Amino acid sequence: MHSMHSHEGLLIGEHFLLGDYAAAEGAIMAGCRFFAGYPITPATEVAERMSTRLPQVGGIYIQMEDELASMNAILGASWSGAKSMTSTSGPGFSLMMENLGLGIMLETPCVLVNVQRGGPSTGLPTLVGQQDMMQARWGSHGDYEIIALSPNSPQELFDLTIRAFNLAEKFRTPVLVMTDAEVGHMTERVIIPPPEEIELVQRPLVRKGDVEPDHFRIFRDPETGDDGQVAPMAVAGEGFRFHITGLTHDERGYPAMNAEASEWNIKRLVKKIRLHRDEIIQVEERYLRDAEIVVVSYGISARTSLWPIEQARKEGIRIGYLRLITVWPFPAEQIKALAKKIRAFVVPEINAGQILLEVERCAAGQAQVIGVNRLGGDILEPQQVLSALRAAAGKPDTTKADKC
Amino acid sequence: MADFDITDAGQFEHFGTESVGDSDWITGQHPMDGLLRGERLPHIWCQGCGLGTALTTFIGALQWLEAEQGWDLDKVSVVSGIGCTGRIAGYVRLDSFHTTHGRAIPFATGLKLANPELKVVVMSGDGDIAGIGGNHFIHAARRNLDITVICVNNFNYGMTGGQVGPTTPHGAKAVTTQYGNFEYPFNLPYLAAASGASFLARWTVIHARRLEWTLREAMMYPGYSFVEVIAPCSTSYARWNPEGRGLDPEKLRRRGLELMKHYQNIGKVAHGTHPKDAAIKVDKEGAIVEIVEGVFSNEPKPDFQSAIDEQAQVARERWQAAKKMLNERSQIPQRTDIIFRTEVQLGGFGGQGIVSAGRIIGQAAAIYDKLEACFTQSYGPEARGGAAGSQVVIASDPIHHPHLIEPTNAIIMSQEAYTKYVPKMATGATLLIDDGLVTLSPDQRQDLKTYGISATQIAEELGNSRAANTVMLGLWTAIIGAVSKSAMQQSVAKAVPPKTVEVNLSAFEAGFKKGLRYQVNNTL
Repeated sequence: MHSMHSHEGLLIGEHFLLGDYAAAEGAIMAGCRFFAGYPITPATEVAERMSTRLPQVGGIYIQMEDELASMNAILGASWSGAKSMTSTSGPGFSLMMENLGLGIMLETPCVLVNVQRGGPSTGLPTLVGQQDMMQARWGSHGDYEIIALSPNSPQELFDLTIRAFNLAEKFRTPVLVMTDAEVGHMTERVIIPPPEEIELVQRPLVRKGDVEPDHFRIFRDPETGDDGQVAPMAVAGEGFRFHITGLTHDERGYPAMNAEASEWNIKRLVKKIRLHRDEIIQVEERYLRDAEIVVVSYGISARTSLWPIEQARKEGIRIGYLRLITVWPFPAEQIKALAKKIRAFVVPEINAGQILLEVERCAAGQAQVIGVNRLGGDILEPQQVLSALRAAAGKPDTTKADKC
Repeated sequence: MADFDITDAGQFEHFGTESVGDSDWITGQHPMDGLLRGERLPHIWCQGCGLGTALTTFIGALQWLEAEQGWDLDKVSVVSGIGCTGRIAGYVRLDSFHTTHGRAIPFATGLKLANPELKVVVMSGDGDIAGIGGNHFIHAARRNLDITVICVNNFNYGMTGGQVGPTTPHGAKAVTTQYGNFEYPFNLPYLAAASGASFLARWTVIHARRLEWTLREAMMYPGYSFVEVIAPCSTSYARWNPEGRGLDPEKLRRRGLELMKHYQNIGKVAHGTHPKDAAIKVDKEGAIVEIVEGVFSNEPKPDFQSAIDEQAQVARERWQAAKKMLNERSQIPQRTDIIFRTEVQLGGFGGQGIVSAGRIIGQAAAIYDKLEACFTQSYGPEARGGAAGSQVVIASDPIHHPHLIEPTNAIIMSQEAYTKYVPKMATGATLLIDDGLVTLSPDQRQDLKTYGISATQIAEELGNSRAANTVMLGLWTAIIGAVSKSAMQQSVAKAVPPKTVEVNLSAFEAGFKKGLRYQVNNTL
């Protein structure tokens, strides 16, 4: 598992691929060689693809007994040096929250793909939702920062799964790919470049002989252990004889039950993400220069907002577009700056207003924030978004049916 | 056992503090010093607890494996969950993982599978392994993953103050069963056996030497090995139950030792006992009156890793076959014409290849004609009852909205689909039907351009009724013109089973020719 992988077995070229399959191929291209999961609609196809493909590239696929086990198994595999992944949807995502927290606490690189469906509870197994966006941010107990990406097509499911691995490795943390049933179950062209053209990041790692085991600090590199720095990790079996625990710990990984240790611990977990926000945050911008109304959205809802935006602009409404490719950490500074210049934000999403809350927080009353919501089960109708844009601009809504 | 002179002088604080500094507990004088983390000592366990002995036997077994079997202890990982036993991972100087409550086994599963060179030992308590982690315990046994699971059973949740657990004997008391435990406990070796484990053993910590020998065997065993270690809980369990009656709670070491003596008295060594006969026996008060001990089973069977390795070989061969097909892709010149948003609805019943047909159109457009194409299929209740539906959007420009707004054309192969989809079609849209299966209604929409073909019949005549969808695709290609014929032919050839390429291409051609005739002679 430790050695560099050959390119044998990698799928390249142009393929008409299901979104879920694209996530699997992205993972394999990123070097993922361990997948543990549990069947759940609409994420099952990620697991199915991995079960066929991983043995072809020397990897391991295992179906665990539940999502609690799946999340733990990928953490264990990561500590054996494998890039590892799981995928799930709503109910399984809830079960994974327990050990997502362990992954964060142990600073374990791994990737979790959530193909969101409608909730709460069993909800709408086959139908779309974007209702786990706040759970992605806050779902596991305790204080932490998280990285979550939101693809809007099978191509992006491929690309962003690779990026998720790169971020996970670089920052030694679980990374979430927050897609949805629509994108996961959509088939489109996916262009897979040859592996030489794909930049891969490997975790900071100490190997046998790099440092004396007695001087090794699994959670802080004494050389570069400043704010926001990520300490190199070791993997099992290399002689470091390290200890890690889900308890609050010191730099050696040993339990440390006091307020000072907790502050040191959490600050580090938070700062390594916050101080690298600029590097982690990716957005797509359109028409922001002249915008007086800005659509802030992500994933499939951002994509389906494009036609209404273009339609509204044809009607003379100055609409801008800010798509959150990285949802967490949130691009707060950009929203704050925009709020000073524009009249209103419109936030289309398939939930009752989750990312809306973040936009409101950042707008801080300086710009109006209007939600366009569908509560799971289907994507937003273009007409619904267009009507909201017209209303935001104070324009009358025409009754004729507009056509995409 | 000799009645040691035990004083409780020097009893230390064991709750609420954690050692964080260097320690003088390790002197280098003790033969086990090298495998303990001195800087973590003193440990948190109560005096009189059996965990010290359990840890000692474990380290003894490891030292023997190193000395006698040439084990490299750098390759040994210890994984534990939460609880008193869970702390063992923190005291052994090995790669060690203190995970979440109940999850040591799945963590160990990932660790072991990703690096089969590692020897992975899970050491945790009864609440952790058989309570919150019970599901993981039985599934790992079922898989016969090559790990060793050591469950230290003290009959209650010790760390949280002595609550009832999945191994608390019936009738026994705990802080949460003050009237006696009304539930029945697991017989852990029997549970493991029923789940597929074939190395099964149990010892109390009083049988320290035999326990150590068994731990050696368990760790060397190729597959899932399970050892239950019965240990006294001098603080909590002893407080409430007959075994600890009359013993001074201020003298924990004494209380622990008395419990061990009791276990010694009631222990019955019987190797090879069937696990079903190994239930821990209690009297009416819940007092333990018999503990059967020994190695109950040691019969290796094919382990998990070898099954995985065998499959990997098959998988690689399959990739080689798939790769050959991937490389056989011809190129079609880039289209220069503009295709406006074309929405295709396909409908029929299961088995007609409605989903495949939609995918073939999408693939032809996206891969061979280099257009934008988005294919979706109906899931859920909509797709049940034998109905099948799929949708494709095709355009030169990026497709923002992936769903059909108003289908500009449709391929309909059942009466049910005709009823369902036709009302949603755009004004002036084009409707293609298998006219052997679909009868137009008397009030058929006059704005639609309708074309029929006996697709199923034609396919049957060609010798494969399953090619009916391809006949429809030929018709669609000729009439709609959104995707080139050569792109469609290549897409069909790539999508259908290799043995049916020829018949499908003939079916496509039949549909295409009929479409061309329609183009000349107008509609139905």
